[in-house]
Amino acid sequence: MYFFTDEEKKHLLRYHLPRAREQGVAEELRGWNWHQPPLEPVYRDVVLALYEVANSYCPTGRDVYLRRVQQKRGRPNLAMIQGIIFHAVVADVIVAAKRAIYSEGVANYRAIVERIQNHPPIPLDEWAEQLSKDQLDDTLAKAEILATFEKTRVLARLQEILTKQPYIGEDSLVSLALPIVVEQKLDGSFLGLSPNLSTDAFVFWEPMVIDIKFDRQRDFHRLTTTGYALVMEALYEFPVNLGCIVYGEFRGDRLIVKKDIHIISDELRQWFIEARDEKARLVAEEIDPGKGECYEECPYFHICWGE
Amino acid sequence: MIVKVADLKQYLYCPRIIYFTYVAPVEKKVTAKMAIGKEEHYATVRLEERRRLRAYGLSEGERHFNAYFYSERLRLEGVLDMYIVTPRGNFPVDFKNACRVALNHKYQLVAYALLLEDHFGRPVRGGFIYLIPRKQVHYLEITPEARLYTKKLIGAVRNLVAREHFPEVPRRSGRCADCEYRNYCGDVL
Repeated sequence: MYFFTDEEKKHLLRYHLPRAREQGVAEELRGWNWHQPPLEPVYRDVVLALYEVANSYCPTGRDVYLRRVQQKRGRPNLAMIQGIIFHAVVADVIVAAKRAIYSEGVANYRAIVERIQNHPPIPLDEWAEQLSKDQLDDTLAKAEILATFEKTRVLARLQEILTKQPYIGEDSLVSLALPIVVEQKLDGSFLGLSPNLSTDAFVFWEPMVIDIKFDRQRDFHRLTTTGYALVMEALYEFPVNLGCIVYGEFRGDRLIVKKDIHIISDELRQWFIEARDEKARLVAEEIDPGKGECYEECPYFHICWGE
Repeated sequence: MIVKVADLKQYLYCPRIIYFTYVAPVEKKVTAKMAIGKEEHYATVRLEERRRLRAYGLSEGERHFNAYFYSERLRLEGVLDMYIVTPRGNFPVDFKNACRVALNHKYQLVAYALLLEDHFGRPVRGGFIYLIPRKQVHYLEITPEARLYTKKLIGAVRNLVAREHFPEVPRRSGRCADCEYRNYCGDVL
């Protein structure tokens, strides 16, 4: 899911990277300026999760109000549960591959391949109760498609590196073949966000935040990568100019993957900060923003509109 | 309501300026900084008329100064310091008496680019901000996101005036020091 095709690399190298470097970003919107406006959090006592700021599925932000002020718990919908599972599947394969390389060593290449190929699927017991029989079967089938795809991609990358580098060691192989950190933990407290954030993936060769979505493309999805980029800038003091949303879609037995590579522009940064301040205000001032045009799968639909 | 390009700059600097301009008009005091700025601005235009386009990275082009533009579609108007017509396209140029390109300068330039586009019926890919004290030219690409944000700003200005809403103070208190409306913000000073 995280590895770019030749065309995507071309887009990245010829279009996004040069533009990101030339355009620049207004200094006050760099994450390392978290201690002064506009990045400085207005409501210091309010700590929001990054998804609470970035998600605009609820048109008024009432979901945040219900969760934070009214202490109500939503009912996760199928898409949410499947999303959690699919994220776990991708991360599991990447981590298993890294583990196999480190524990088997480059000399035992065949053993590495076998371990990756035979890596068992993640157990779904934890979520089974929340899914019907059909839903569980569907989720299992999709998780298998996803794991198979990811294993094949990882193996292809391993082979590519090994054919080029005869003297490579384990650590370098991991870094070249799998140059990402999955579920990177970040402290977002500088920006009024949770101290326990977790980004789907982070690429180091050109600082880029990657997020996977199993949803149709929506404009506010870019707020997720923007938020993580700001947090990373606040933590590590280097510029994070690029983000990428990886969209996974299941069509029958096939997995379709599309990528939205984007520059973390001034506009996205401002949008994120405005959303953060707006939602933090709802919580700090205990303002009920009211209902909007809701979608029925909303985890809070039963609270807003009754059973 | 027809929004002026300068309103966008003011809105980003402090939305209360829009309030004091349109909703509750008050007498404003011209600060020394503003008077000096205006004089330097005119001097730059005079000098620019004799200069070449090398600073803009352009080999050929025709310069036009202090041009008024109006877009019926956007209900937006403004007087642009300079624009350059070249075979490669048209480029708006805004002169600023500042040492760096601030965000409000950027969106003002984007608004001028939108006006130029509507006037000539040709897309504008980028524009320049000329920093007077440093004699530096900065190129800014007019990205789709910047266009959207600028249109959102135009709507926000209109919305503020229509709702007659007295906005919050921006959290940069330093901005109030040179403000022509500082006497009217009792909650700030």
